[in-house]
This record gives sequence, C-alpha cells and structure tokens, in this order.
Amino acid sequence: MPFDQKQPGPPITRINILQGQARVSAGPRVEFSTVLGSCVATCLFDPEVEVGGMNHFLLAEPPAGAATGDFDEHYGVYLMELLINEMLAHGATKHRLRAHLYGGANLNSGFARIGTRNAEFAHHFLAKERITVVREDLGGIHARRVDFRPARGQVRCRTVENTLAPEPRPMPRPQKARGDVELF
Amino acid sequence: MNKNTRILTVDDSASMRALLNHALTSQGFDVAQAEDGEVALEWLALNEVDVVITDINMPRLDGFGLIERLRQGNRHRDRPILVLTTESSEEKKTRARQAGATGWIVKPFDPEKLVAAVRRVAH
Repeated sequence: MPFDQKQPGPPITRINILQGQARVSAGPRVEFSTVLGSCVATCLFDPEVEVGGMNHFLLAEPPAGAATGDFDEHYGVYLMELLINEMLAHGATKHRLRAHLYGGANLNSGFARIGTRNAEFAHHFLAKERITVVREDLGGIHARRVDFRPARGQVRCRTVENTLAPEPRPMPRPQKARGDVELF
Repeated sequence: MNKNTRILTVDDSASMRALLNHALTSQGFDVAQAEDGEVALEWLALNEVDVVITDINMPRLDGFGLIERLRQGNRHRDRPILVLTTESSEEKKTRARQAGATGWIVKPFDPEKLVAAVRRVAH
C-alpha cells in the first residue's frame, strides 16, 4: 500500500522504536519510526483487523570461528515472539500476518556481516513460522529510516546518512528476562 | 535418569520448539512437541510423559486452559508442569500457580537453568 504523505485530520503521533523494543498499535494516527544500520526491523500487519507492529533488534555476533548455533538466537526468537504475542493480543491471527523486513546493512567493515546475519535470522524465523514476507529492503552498506503506519500497513523506507544509525552494539538481554526459574 | 525422562513441549512457535528441542535432547531427554493446548491434550491422552513444559499464549487452548484440564483428571494431577513464557506480570504468574503449574520460567530461557529445573521437578 502506498505511503500517504499527508493524511487529513489531527496530527500523527510518531513513536520511535528503539533497539530491543516491540510495539503494536491499531491507532489510525500512529506512526512507528526507526533508524537502522546493522539492526533489523520486522513490521507485521494483519489487514483484516488493521493492526500492525514493529520490532527492532541486533543479535549478538558469534565469536570468530564459532558455529552458527552460538548466535544469540534465543534473544531473537524472544523479540519476535513478543511482537507476535502483542499482535495476537490486539486481535490479529497468525496465518493472516504479513511481514516486512528492513535493515541488516553492513555499514562498517569492522562489523562485517553482522547485518547479514541478523537479516538471515529474521528470514529463517518467519519462514519457520510460515509468515509471508511481502516486502523487504535488506543488506547493502547504507543506513535506513523506516516509517510504518501500523493500522494501514503502510511503510516508507529511505536511505539516510550512516551517521544517523545507532552504533552496531548488540544489546545484552534484559536482566529481568534471563530465564529465571521459580518453582511454586 | 536423563535417558528415561520424557518431556512434552507445548508452544505455538516452531522456532521456540526447535530451540527447546535442541536444548533438551542435547542433554539426553526424550522430547515430544505440541503446537497448542488441544494438540497437547490429544497427545497426552495416548502417551506417557514425565514433565510438561508449556507456553501461555497459544491459539485454541492456551497454557492456563491446558494446566486446568490436566489437573481436572486423575492421570496428570501430579504431573510436573513448567510454564515457559514471555509474560512477566505477577497476575499471570499467580494465575498459573492457581491453575496448578509447578513452576514459572521467563523467556528467553537459559538452557542450563531450564535443564536444572526439569531435573528438579522430574519424578
């Protein structure tokens, strides 16, 4: 769906999605925005209930020479699940979800391939969950700015100055969610 | 003991089931998988298991519903059931405890902590 630059009515509420966050809204005047370097943003949209959501993540790179399994897939699956659960809580249905993927650039040779690895993770995850990717703009060497209107599923993705992108520092997992076990 | 400990993992996310399967089978557990509470009930009606690990948010029958149904019957009244969830609210945790859950684990899970919990609760 094309991105309407000007919508009549009250002003748009712009919400910045930071690394490690997942937000969902059905608000017609809401716009999620994020700037991505190596990070990847997933936008999900359910056209029937007109609800959408976005996450923004950068998974830790495995140590040099390590097997693929050392990639912090647990945290990636967690952030994807947070987004999907929030979509379902807003009335979305999993089989109707349509995905967009953005980001995953390799801005800096010192962090070579971290963007590619994050994009690959997102692709594999969505394929496994049988969620169709309808649009993607991944890879390359330039930062991107993504604006997403969740209630319409409209996305605008533009290339921006690399200096605008956050430093490619994989976030540590949140302290409160480190697999703590409580037996009753 | 590990060789004989059978675990049913219940989660609607195929990726999460794959992570769990890897974490548990690599420690010698026998792992079966179900994609929601209904599938879990069908499987549990026909198969023996030592520990159930279940998600909360699932289509058809969620984790709360699954625990309640298992506690209603005789067969699984004392079966250890660990909840593994992205939910962090006290209210949901209390609800799980009242439904009869044995323990509560917050995602993203730590494989070592998960395995230790399974060993503790397995009879």
